[in-house]
Amino acid sequence: MTQAEIKLCSLLLQEHFGEIVEKIGVHLIRTGSQPLRVIAHDTGTSLDQVKKALCVLIQHNLVTYQVHKRGVVEYEAQCSRVLRMLRYPRYIYTSKTLYSDTGELIVEELLLNGKMTMSAVVKKVADRLTETMEDGKTMDYAEVSNTFVRLADTHFVQRCPLVPATENSDPGPPPPAPTLVINEKDMYLVPKLSLIGKGKRRRSSEEDAAGEPKAKRLKHTTENKEPIPDDGIYWQANLDRFHQHFRDQTIVSAVANRMDQTSSEIVRTMLRMSEITTPSCAPFTQPLSSNEIFRSLPVGYNISKQVLDQYLTLLADDPLEFVGKSGDSGGGMYVINLHKALASLATATLESVVQERFGSRCARIFRLVLQKKHLEQKQVEDFAMIPAKEAKDMLYKMLSENFISLQEIPKTPDHAPSRTFYLYTVNILSAARMLLHRCYKSIANLIERRQFETKENKRLLEKSQRVEAIIASMQATGAEEEQLQEIEEMITAPERQQLETLKRNVNKLDASEIQVDETIFLLESYIESTMKR
Amino acid sequence: MASRGGGRGRGRGQLTFNVEAVGIGKGDALPPPTLQPSPLFPPLEFYPVPLPSGEEGEYVLALKQELRGAMRQLPYFIRPAVPKRDVERYSDKYQMSGPVDNAIDWNPDWRRLPRELKIRVRKLQKEREYIWKNGRREEVTKDCLPPLALLLSPHNLRESQLLFHQEYSLQSKLQQEGKAQAWNDVMERKETDYIMSYFDNGEDFGGDSDDNMDEAIY
Repeated sequence: MTQAEIKLCSLLLQEHFGEIVEKIGVHLIRTGSQPLRVIAHDTGTSLDQVKKALCVLIQHNLVTYQVHKRGVVEYEAQCSRVLRMLRYPRYIYTSKTLYSDTGELIVEELLLNGKMTMSAVVKKVADRLTETMEDGKTMDYAEVSNTFVRLADTHFVQRCPLVPATENSDPGPPPPAPTLVINEKDMYLVPKLSLIGKGKRRRSSEEDAAGEPKAKRLKHTTENKEPIPDDGIYWQANLDRFHQHFRDQTIVSAVANRMDQTSSEIVRTMLRMSEITTPSCAPFTQPLSSNEIFRSLPVGYNISKQVLDQYLTLLADDPLEFVGKSGDSGGGMYVINLHKALASLATATLESVVQERFGSRCARIFRLVLQKKHLEQKQVEDFAMIPAKEAKDMLYKMLSENFISLQEIPKTPDHAPSRTFYLYTVNILSAARMLLHRCYKSIANLIERRQFETKENKRLLEKSQRVEAIIASMQATGAEEEQLQEIEEMITAPERQQLETLKRNVNKLDASEIQVDETIFLLESYIESTMKR
Repeated sequence: MASRGGGRGRGRGQLTFNVEAVGIGKGDALPPPTLQPSPLFPPLEFYPVPLPSGEEGEYVLALKQELRGAMRQLPYFIRPAVPKRDVERYSDKYQMSGPVDNAIDWNPDWRRLPRELKIRVRKLQKEREYIWKNGRREEVTKDCLPPLALLLSPHNLRESQLLFHQEYSLQSKLQQEGKAQAWNDVMERKETDYIMSYFDNGEDFGGDSDDNMDEAIY
């Protein structure tokens, strides 16, 4: 793991789980697989704290364990999974667009809690939805269960590996840690539950001030141990499926930008048909015949078969090669070249970065070198039609930032420099890796800056929170306008200004983080797809 | 070696490769040497592209900030123990305290975790009062209180001091929040009849800065 990734992981863990978990997590990422006592000794934290931190990390699928010989259990952290925490808002928003509020809350609960049983999720989501509904209405468990089943059918949530059921004839002491297994077929199998009930509204504080104190009430609920029908079957969000969805979305919008709406719809249909049949890391989808595509087009689209064929031919002939023709049976067999699509998207990202950083003439040179693969200095000047001095300057700037690299081609076996060709070339894979590394660094910087800004104004933030709390409580008990005015004036005008600036800055930094994460997703998908070939 | 010497000998200023091939022509001025590291924030030539705005962007932004806040409130957020205060105070008993004895706030499924991670929670034993009488420990029941002389015997005094210290060390071992949430005045926690601000130490008074104040503080 690179230093930039470790730093980013450390910031994310600290923000979401606190310093103790951060210390343990970063130590595991740095040093790899370690047993419990070694972790405690190396980090200098007490054994109890380490145990707590590991429980939290394992619950959230950030750390896995393995039993080695002689009963030693070793823990290993998944650095890439920690980095996914940046993308949680995007996952939740996607499930909102696909399955509306219910789906959004289900995925949110699963992401916040790591893993949960279906009954627990349904109950919690129903309660939360009931809170937001009008008085008197409640959310039925059945509706939430239905959405859950739909999420499982489309593979957006999956089962966690299970503890194997041990037979009674197991000799000897139980193993120090269970080995979790999961059957491929059962991963999306929803248990048959009859969840009947409605969401409960949380009782407002006025009601239970008169009743028993809260401490006693809490004890009651923990003693309420009904047998849970799906005990032991835990569900987690399937991040790979979300990534597949993002990738499909990006391809469709790329086609829409390049060509028109209809072609993007055709591509979307083709992708939807191959959602379940094609594994996510395949270089291209299964071939689909033109007749099948015609039948699966969305109902509102009435384009004739010939028009569809024309569009498909056009897509297949496009130099970007998103769609390829793989045969002629069934009216023409077409595939979507996923790897090529990802490569074009990554290249487009690189071009855009060069353009925004160095200017459009640099971008012209960059695209030229990309297209011609290898060019000498003189040829660059000629083809780009840019004066030599400037072309040289721009090339060196890009070279120093590692967007372009030099390739040496010796003319003589002794590699004499005066008799060697030096060609400029763009190696997309290494440029993508370099850019990805920079993205990690920039997100780490953004998070640090945001934390710094918040810390600077901590006193002011606390004050404004207190004032809001006072106003809220006074409004609840019915206060007059003047009193509210008075309280609001506790925050002076320059302080308000400061708060506004702070809020604007924090929003900008947050939005930038989200934006950089989108770039990270593209580059990571491209690199992964290239590595798997 | 003979060819060394600080680069002042023959062939000074020659590079190992043909400079023309890289594009620096003969007689061209080389760029000035760099004498310091590049600036921390180099001047931006091109202004960055504005961030995407719109409904989706704002929703995702609000979601992100909400998630950040929500995760801090979940039991998975482990706060480090506040360092022990200089003197133990009576109000410590009624301030917010964290989970007992380093136990976890939530209940993981222990069947899925390695056995070594399970933290045994010492249930607070029912407080029984013992007293030393005739060389033996006997339990004191509410009906018959032992005479004062017996209570003041040296052995019993030591016992009671030990208990006193034990209770306080247990309390201070409990992880405390840095400061009781200021406006959490509702009666809770230790089933007392007093609201939380009754147990205010007075330590937090006068901490805020006094700008914009015209009058003096007495």
